[in-house]
Amino acid sequence: MLKRIIVVLMLTMFAAFPAMAGSKAPVVTIASDCTWPPMEFVNKDKQIVGFSVDLMKACGKAAGYEVKIKNVAWDGIFAGLAAGKYDAICSSVTINEKRKKVMDFSAPYFAVQQSVVTNKASDAKTLADFKGKKLGAQIGTTGYFAIKAVDGVIPKSYDEIGLAMEDLFNGRLAAVVCDDPIAADFALQQEDYAKKLKIAFVVKSDKAEYLGVAVQKGNKEILNLIDKGLKAVRADGTYDKIKAKWFGSN
Amino acid sequence: MTEKQVKIEVTDGASIPDSNDRGIFNAWWVSFIGAVGIIAYLIITKPDPYRDILLFVPDGIVVTFEVTICSIFGALFIGLFTGLGRISSNKFINLVASTYVEVVRGIPLLVQLFYIYYAMGRVLQVPDMLSAIIAMSVCYGAYMGEVFRAGIESIDAGQTEAARSLGFNKNETMFLVILPQAWRTILPPVGNEFIALLKDSSLVSILAVADILRRGREFAAESFQYFETYTMIALLYLLITLILSKGVSHMEERLNHYDR
Repeated sequence: MLKRIIVVLMLTMFAAFPAMAGSKAPVVTIASDCTWPPMEFVNKDKQIVGFSVDLMKACGKAAGYEVKIKNVAWDGIFAGLAAGKYDAICSSVTINEKRKKVMDFSAPYFAVQQSVVTNKASDAKTLADFKGKKLGAQIGTTGYFAIKAVDGVIPKSYDEIGLAMEDLFNGRLAAVVCDDPIAADFALQQEDYAKKLKIAFVVKSDKAEYLGVAVQKGNKEILNLIDKGLKAVRADGTYDKIKAKWFGSN
Repeated sequence: MTEKQVKIEVTDGASIPDSNDRGIFNAWWVSFIGAVGIIAYLIITKPDPYRDILLFVPDGIVVTFEVTICSIFGALFIGLFTGLGRISSNKFINLVASTYVEVVRGIPLLVQLFYIYYAMGRVLQVPDMLSAIIAMSVCYGAYMGEVFRAGIESIDAGQTEAARSLGFNKNETMFLVILPQAWRTILPPVGNEFIALLKDSSLVSILAVADILRRGREFAAESFQYFETYTMIALLYLLITLILSKGVSHMEERLNHYDR
């Protein structure tokens, strides 16, 4: 009998906790692959920081919800969303048709291009110039898709963009393709890399690339919260402040 | 005859089917028919995406086998000398071999892979495949050393004494008398290690080596069909290890044949 009472008590506690939380501001759990500076990364104090982290927190403040950022490996980040492990992904996800089929996107919050990082000595002007050479990118990113679309190059997919950059630095790759803010951070900001690497050119594309926050297909509730927040921070100038903080005034 | 030794075999290799078990309702057959059946069923009923996945990974299977086969030879080579070093009466050689085993067994394979490829990459640019093979050989060489040691120690001391009294020197005794006999004890665990190595080779996908797992991950990352892709990858690995374990079982049977 005692056991049963305990079980009932436990169950009511479990049932009551989410209900109590619900009475306060809703919590939106957002997954980020924090290996993508300056958009989202872990700083020296082991804190998750970056442009999109600040942006998401500002959105939460503006639209009245609490933001919890969860550091999730990129490979599998979409599977986790589909499995409901978190409410949204804000991890420099480019909005494209293929992804739109399996998830919903917020309004775009940033425009990117695919930058090609090479050795300073390289004089390549397009991706096709790397015929027969190894090109690296992070698995499942638009950078990797861009490489795969080129005939004659050897695409290599890495778990993290940092590993690809290290391989480029060590001379085992001819180039690395990734979003321009990340390329700039690695090739220009990191001291060691800056000595040896450069941003050679930008992959020409007929369509502009925009980053969006991804939510589970049909999850209107979370999407509305995020869109509301994005709209508010753009309107009151917070967005520009955050952008200036991470990318300088421009 | 000394009393019968109880041997507990716990390895991370596949369980080797008992070759005396002829029935069709044993674990091996159930798994094998199950794996083949499910793969066939999935491909026929849902060619999209299962057939596409299967067509996407074959070069990955080749790479997995390349890494595994090269590594097992590397590991055998390193293992032979480690095993000899471990039983050497020369204190220095003994210490070197023992330290190597101790150090390698204390470091996870994944960390060793990272170390050889990315950490050492600053000094020495070893290509990705070669890095993978070196790391796997060094890691499994330590385990293989123990196999060689046990195999050599299993040969009766009388063999050494007889060889030496017939005028063989130390090396001749080892390479012409002891090792050929020890092979029989050594081969089955080597087969086992081979299977374990094949499974562990999935770790090399971290070096952007395009093995089965890396190909699967690339497929999943683009199609978002995680369930379908990893189901197929798991079944493929299972099928390969099942076939290999059957092979090892046959080998054991043939070696036992000589014991009778």
